[in-house]
Amino acid sequence: MKSPLVLELKGNSLDDGPGIRTAVFFKGCPLSCVWCHNPESKHTEAELSVSLSDCIGCGTCKKVCPQKAADLAQQGIVDRAKCVRCFLCTESCPPKALQRVGREMSIEDIVKKCAADKPFYEVSGGGVTLSGGEPTMFTDWVGELALRLTEEGMRVHLETCGMFDYEKVRGKLLPYVSSIYMDVKIADREAHRKYCGVYNDVILENLRRLFADSGEMGFSLLPRTPLIPEITDTDENLTAIMRLYKEIGITRTELLPYNPTWYGKTEKLGVSVPAELEGVRHWQSSEKLEHCKDIFRSEGIDC
Amino acid sequence: MNGSLTGAAANRIANAVLHFFAFEFTKVKKNQEYLKSKDGWINFSIGLTTENGEVAQSIWFKDGKAKVKSSVEGVDTKLILKDTGVLAQLATLPPNEVLNLMLKNKMASSGNMQYLELFNLMISVLMKDKQVKQMHAQAEERAETGREMVDDPDVPRKRPPLEFLKSETTDPGVKCIGDDQYLSTYKLDQYPRLRKFLDKHLSDRPAICTERAVLQTEWHRKNGFETKPDGTPWVPELRQAYMFKYLMENRKPIIRKGDLIAGTTTTKEIGVPIYPDGVGLLIWGELLTVSERMLQPYEPLEDWEIKTLSQDVFPYWVHRNFREYVREKYHEPKCQKLDERWAACFMWKNVALSHTIIDYPKLLRLGLTGIIDEVKAELAKKGNSEDKKNELEAMILCYEGMIAYARHLAEQARKEAAAETDPKRKKELEVIAEAVAHSPEFPARNMEEAVQAIWIHWVGVHMESTNAGFSLGRMDQWLQPFFVADMAKLKTKEEKDAYISHVIELLGCFYLRCQDHVPLVPDIGNYLFGGSSSDQAITLGGVTPEGEDAVNDMTYVFLKVTEMLGMRDPNVNARYNASKNSEAYLRRLCEVNVHTTSTPSIHNDETVMASLVDLGYAPEDLRDWSATGCVEPTISGKHIGHTNCMMFNMVAALEMALYNGYHPLMRWRVGPKTGEIADFKTFDQFLEAFFIQLKCLADLTCEYNNLLGEAHAVLRPTPLMSAMTADCIEKGLDVTKGGARYNSSGTACIGLADIVDSLMAIKDLVFDRKKYTFRELVEAVRVNFEGHEAMRSVILTETPRFGSGSDEAVEVANRVTKYMKDCFWEHLNYRGGHYTTGFWSMSNHVAFGALTGALPSGRLAYQPFTPGLTPEANASKSLLDNIRDVTRLEPTSMNNNIAFNVKVNPSPRDTHAQTVEHVKNYAQAYANMGGMQMQFNVVSSATMRAAMARPEEYKDLMVRISGYNAYFTQLNRDLQLELINRADYGM
Repeated sequence: MKSPLVLELKGNSLDDGPGIRTAVFFKGCPLSCVWCHNPESKHTEAELSVSLSDCIGCGTCKKVCPQKAADLAQQGIVDRAKCVRCFLCTESCPPKALQRVGREMSIEDIVKKCAADKPFYEVSGGGVTLSGGEPTMFTDWVGELALRLTEEGMRVHLETCGMFDYEKVRGKLLPYVSSIYMDVKIADREAHRKYCGVYNDVILENLRRLFADSGEMGFSLLPRTPLIPEITDTDENLTAIMRLYKEIGITRTELLPYNPTWYGKTEKLGVSVPAELEGVRHWQSSEKLEHCKDIFRSEGIDC
Repeated sequence: MNGSLTGAAANRIANAVLHFFAFEFTKVKKNQEYLKSKDGWINFSIGLTTENGEVAQSIWFKDGKAKVKSSVEGVDTKLILKDTGVLAQLATLPPNEVLNLMLKNKMASSGNMQYLELFNLMISVLMKDKQVKQMHAQAEERAETGREMVDDPDVPRKRPPLEFLKSETTDPGVKCIGDDQYLSTYKLDQYPRLRKFLDKHLSDRPAICTERAVLQTEWHRKNGFETKPDGTPWVPELRQAYMFKYLMENRKPIIRKGDLIAGTTTTKEIGVPIYPDGVGLLIWGELLTVSERMLQPYEPLEDWEIKTLSQDVFPYWVHRNFREYVREKYHEPKCQKLDERWAACFMWKNVALSHTIIDYPKLLRLGLTGIIDEVKAELAKKGNSEDKKNELEAMILCYEGMIAYARHLAEQARKEAAAETDPKRKKELEVIAEAVAHSPEFPARNMEEAVQAIWIHWVGVHMESTNAGFSLGRMDQWLQPFFVADMAKLKTKEEKDAYISHVIELLGCFYLRCQDHVPLVPDIGNYLFGGSSSDQAITLGGVTPEGEDAVNDMTYVFLKVTEMLGMRDPNVNARYNASKNSEAYLRRLCEVNVHTTSTPSIHNDETVMASLVDLGYAPEDLRDWSATGCVEPTISGKHIGHTNCMMFNMVAALEMALYNGYHPLMRWRVGPKTGEIADFKTFDQFLEAFFIQLKCLADLTCEYNNLLGEAHAVLRPTPLMSAMTADCIEKGLDVTKGGARYNSSGTACIGLADIVDSLMAIKDLVFDRKKYTFRELVEAVRVNFEGHEAMRSVILTETPRFGSGSDEAVEVANRVTKYMKDCFWEHLNYRGGHYTTGFWSMSNHVAFGALTGALPSGRLAYQPFTPGLTPEANASKSLLDNIRDVTRLEPTSMNNNIAFNVKVNPSPRDTHAQTVEHVKNYAQAYANMGGMQMQFNVVSSATMRAAMARPEEYKDLMVRISGYNAYFTQLNRDLQLELINRADYGM
């Protein structure tokens, strides 16, 4: 059973499903969306994060790095070509300016940590959210986790991009899930491949099947679309998604306004911002958001 | 002059300066006025010396003449400077900075503190122009640095319209309001009168009111203080009662223009009453400049007021106040010296023995005459001792004074009604006249009379004793019967709606009446207690004495008024009893917090009651508890709990443990030698040393508090309060002597999170992981981590903190709170009651922080501690970890309550209902987990920064400090930054 790396256990999460939740973010995603808000969640392997603003210039990293790749104090850099991700520097960096992104955690450890906040889930209708990255990249392991969480009386919410082996997920994960947010990003097949790296056939098929199974298996499903300027927030794309929902019978969706706060993360990981998004480091206007919502509302879809 | 001044040169300069003073105040006629009193010349001497004795000069004023001596032997008051450098600063700094020199222990005083204030006045007589210029420059600098807080200081404040929830359910105790128990349709805009008063409250400056002090002094000058004119000693209770009666008979009966409630505590719109037997004389030095100071300036005093205070009132009380009583009788004991060095404690007993709640239901039930009858019946019993008879007679005199004042008010209302031309106002005045003519003298028959009666008695309480923390108690419970009875008389819906609206306005006026006095704050107090009012706590909800759901119509009326006015005072405390009170009630408490940004504070009723188990209250009394001052539980009408007798800096003991009993800022070995750092072989050994130092400080502070308790009994017994406190009449014993059924003294212990984080750093890094030696750690602390940045980073990122979900940190916290509580519990106060232990801090976490060096927790020198027992801002990214850890603290170790601050930042994406729901969920879970008290700041750091940039637009921005509320823009800069730097949890 392949065990995933966990990016973060985020307590007191109010935006990842109903009520107060703990969100478990897994590392690794089958898509590669150009706007990805969590660039650290793309790859399944551990990465090195460098936060220059936390560096106190003590020079410890230079002393411990066997590859002579890290020298934050003098150079302000880690030479990523030389770095072999041994993470020795992260263990000795006093202010934790150098950090390992992604660590192994046991299922029981996660269950225990999540269980501490049960009183908050209970009063708010919250629980634990499995997110990422893409949790279904590790369906066996994540299914086991979801089972244990439900056994301990915590409701499990899944956030997925929809790119997964349906039968496997249906057998191992869905029985323990009480609600799902699924991203529906781009309706057009080619555009999806262009911006997200893969065709969307599997995703759209999984959306139909999730919807079909939701009643019988007792989970709720909310498809959501992140509004990326000029990519997903076009009338054409949103109208196509709306038609798809009408056809399937979906009556409720959520549109996620563009959030520009992720740019800082790219620097820490040493990755570049895609050219398409260089010009839009700002929040979406409420007028634009209302316009997008109207596309769905006018056809009787809640959002 | 500068720091490199030689001792001999400094000594010569000091001599010259004092000669200059001598000249100015003996040869310049107008200056000499300040040395004259009604009793003749003020004779006193002030010495100026350095710790090493190199400087020793004194000035002696006698019969209008002055002499300078090169010695400080035998002076009344000595100013001891750290070194000659401080002498140079003295001459150049603005007055508030000079006070800060005192706070920061660069100088200390010994001897009568009141003379120091007189000397300060003399300095300002000579230097006023320069001082004012300096104060203006400070204010300008503050405004300028405020503008630097935001990128664009020219963006005006936006005020989005408020939304209001409607309750889906009606609580069983809500009998008359109908479906909309949240009263969601009532808005401030419907009440122009309240709007106007509120605007005045937020914009007017307070003004010193001399009335009480002048009448009080006048009476004593005629009738004596220690002895009567015939030379026989006064019985203190009777002396106070005669004085009180004279005061009440002769003070001006005032009905504020347009107000619905008669009577005022002062003669000014917002008055600062002077209690010269407390700390009133601390304003002596600022009489000329108080209108120009940067923080909380008052209106300038009229010339006659300055003259009256400085020549008549203040000289009379130089020795007749609590502080000097103890100094003279007990020869300035060590415990008093400790208090006057500021860094380890702040003894509120110097100011007042108030902080209690008297029996208002009795007032409503019996009226003033009924109370007198009750006392007379006791007096008529056979076998009463002389002492008892004296106390009972004193009570009667006090209530006669109360009746006189109430009658004067009724008469005043009648006169004003007769002269009034506006028919609407005429009618209002007639209603006031009619109500006041009946009540408080006789039992209240309706809401109108009940509210007038409580207010008038409230005025009386504040004439008897200092305005510090007197609280109103369970007003919703006590007024509900009147509300129900009044409503029952009404027929139509229109009549009922109009009545509800009137009650809202009447109580709105009551809240605004409570703003007519603020505590006297000498400038030094602006740095110790930023923006505090007198903290008049009201308590809502909870359970009845029988244990049933107590939430009623009036609970929601009070919440409406609280929400509409959004004021710092009355300080509204809500009891939430998870077993008995509804979710709808809790939701409403949270909605009011969202709208007002910081009130009411929410008490988990069951845990508060569980915390009081050792006090031995009868169950029905326990269930009737209410909050006093900030948060502290008092058994209303039966208890003198002086719940804020002292603010206690636990961190001082930690520093003393690190330096073998020596306190670095005070440069004083206060505590016993508990070991050099190298001596500690285990964590527990060090913890033991810390506990010994804690005990040393607790012993000293309790000793001083008890001496001050005696001073209160001698100088200011309070027969009025006594008649309204259970058992005092039967015992014939004043509350200051222990007459109340329940007696205790409450402490506020400050710095818990800083202590626990420091102890955890020591345990983890020194003893468990042995990453550093103890000596290395203490050396880094001693030099404020300069050159030890890596160590500090390790501490901040690796050691388990309180509020991070660490079992070990919680365990250490519980050991500290239990030890602290046991330590105080073993002491008995002057009235025979136990000391209780609380973990809240008013604003002293900032003040004490400014007087404390760096700590093993990584906190840098002079930075604030965390407020109350709130975890440090970086303890965890998840608010839930904070909340959980606080709920795991043992309640019985915190029997004077806690203040747990939670700063949440509403998401712009959430609806009002969602925001309220988030807050409610936190509060609900906290209660379910057994947490004790929780107080919110529903405001972002960004808003606070904007308020620093544009203070004039944010005058009403209210924030919860620790226990009390204040207006953000009135706070000192350190406190503003502390609030901004608190963990900001998004919702």
